[in-house]
Amino acid sequence: MFSNTREGLALALPAAIFALLLFILPVGILLSEAFQSDAGWTLSGYTDFFSKPLNQTVFLRTLKLGVLVAGTAAVIGYAAAFSISNLSPVARGRVFGLVILPLMISPVARTYAWIVILGRTGIVNDALVGLGLAETPIRLLFTETAVFLGLLQLFMPLMIISLLSAMENIPRDVIPAARVLGANWFQVFFRVILPLTKEGLVVGGTLVFTGALTAYITPAILGGSKVLMLETLLYQQVNVSNDFVSASVIAMILIIMSFTANLLLKRIATARK
Amino acid sequence: MKNLTSWAIIGLTLTFLIGPFIIIIFAGASAGESLAFPPDGLSLRWYLKVFTIESFRQSFVLSMGLAIFGTLAALLLGIPAAYALNRYELPGAETIRTVVASPIIVPGIIVGLALLRYMVIPLDVTVTVALFMAHTALVLPYAVRVVSSSLNNLRSDMEEAAVLLGCTRLQAFTKVVLPNIRGGVLAAFILGFVTSFNQVPVSLFLSGPGVRTLPIDMLAYMEITYDPSVAALSALLAFMSLAIVFIAERLLGFSRYV
Repeated sequence: MFSNTREGLALALPAAIFALLLFILPVGILLSEAFQSDAGWTLSGYTDFFSKPLNQTVFLRTLKLGVLVAGTAAVIGYAAAFSISNLSPVARGRVFGLVILPLMISPVARTYAWIVILGRTGIVNDALVGLGLAETPIRLLFTETAVFLGLLQLFMPLMIISLLSAMENIPRDVIPAARVLGANWFQVFFRVILPLTKEGLVVGGTLVFTGALTAYITPAILGGSKVLMLETLLYQQVNVSNDFVSASVIAMILIIMSFTANLLLKRIATARK
Repeated sequence: MKNLTSWAIIGLTLTFLIGPFIIIIFAGASAGESLAFPPDGLSLRWYLKVFTIESFRQSFVLSMGLAIFGTLAALLLGIPAAYALNRYELPGAETIRTVVASPIIVPGIIVGLALLRYMVIPLDVTVTVALFMAHTALVLPYAVRVVSSSLNNLRSDMEEAAVLLGCTRLQAFTKVVLPNIRGGVLAAFILGFVTSFNQVPVSLFLSGPGVRTLPIDMLAYMEITYDPSVAALSALLAFMSLAIVFIAERLLGFSRYV
């Protein structure tokens, strides 16, 4: 540790000032915009926003998809992470590589694949018509299901990685010991595995939930204007209606939701200790 | 039996995660006119066509430039900051840390809109400059975090010894610290590069005539046509990212730093 404060500040401040001026300041002004009117400070931007049925629908849908994606990712993630952690070290490394591989690929590319799968002439529709389960192709794109699948595929690796690193901390004999002492698998999961991995669940859950809330590409490509989420609604408000007050309200909602998710999950993790 | 269940779960999960990517590769290799899987015959025509589309070439160059120079700028700001936060007793260190990490918390679309409204329009800054600033801000938290973690692994008495032996503080940094955190810096660069190159929301509002990042350009192209060229381009970009990460992993064990 060096104690020359002036030198340290000279090194650290350029980055801080850059982030402050180019990031915090503009975002702060944007957020304040919804509170301003000709008559002074107001909350009417918020009341107007939430009085519109479309906005309510989009808000609830975004929340619902966020929870569903994070919840599903947690269930699949536990099964996958538990299976992976039981592999031999070499196999574990390879499978881990395959799990993180999608994170390096452009989200545009990953989402675009779903058009090929779910489109009118896509794999699923071909199969349905071919098997005689449907007479004509059914609409799968631009549905909540499509957005859900896209988001789940996009963010699940984050959950698996978080859970895997948490599972490394489970002592190897704990689970067999619980089994020998008469616990069934249900009890093993809720009494042993879950308490020992809840920090990983919190990290993964926060990453997946906030990722799903703030994703733009997936709802834009797979949901379009039929299944708007908050980010795509924000884009539409600015580009189609030039409504910057609504944009500012949505921005605030998104930031608050990310923060709250983070805090809430942290609270849960510490409360159960 | 238990092993079989494990592998079945892993297989299904990996199919879900990686299957779509394989579909994209083949959909792009279609000989037909429309996007389909299985493709109507195989050919490389769409893979080749991608290179002849002028707007893709322009936006590729822009995205490359942003990813390289934005990340370099973020490292120039981030390395000293990480060093100061690690090695000096700073008043308000926690505040500085939060400020520097803040771009990771706020959704990119909001950053892009804010920069457009309060920088590009009132201050008459060009869109390219704003994009550069936005991408630098976006990468800064990663740069600070990755470099910090490799500084944490480096004992500070080495620099103190160098200073006692007559180095100036700066020489101690360039001769002792920098060579030792080289791997971390390179890992931060690659992580920043991939993040910036694939970034969409930040650049959504920051585009103008002839100035569009590649992912935004692909989104715009998809709205007009559903031909296989976007699939081909997606596959090519994915291979590029994977090659970079693979080489990095081989050279320096990249995944240790992420």
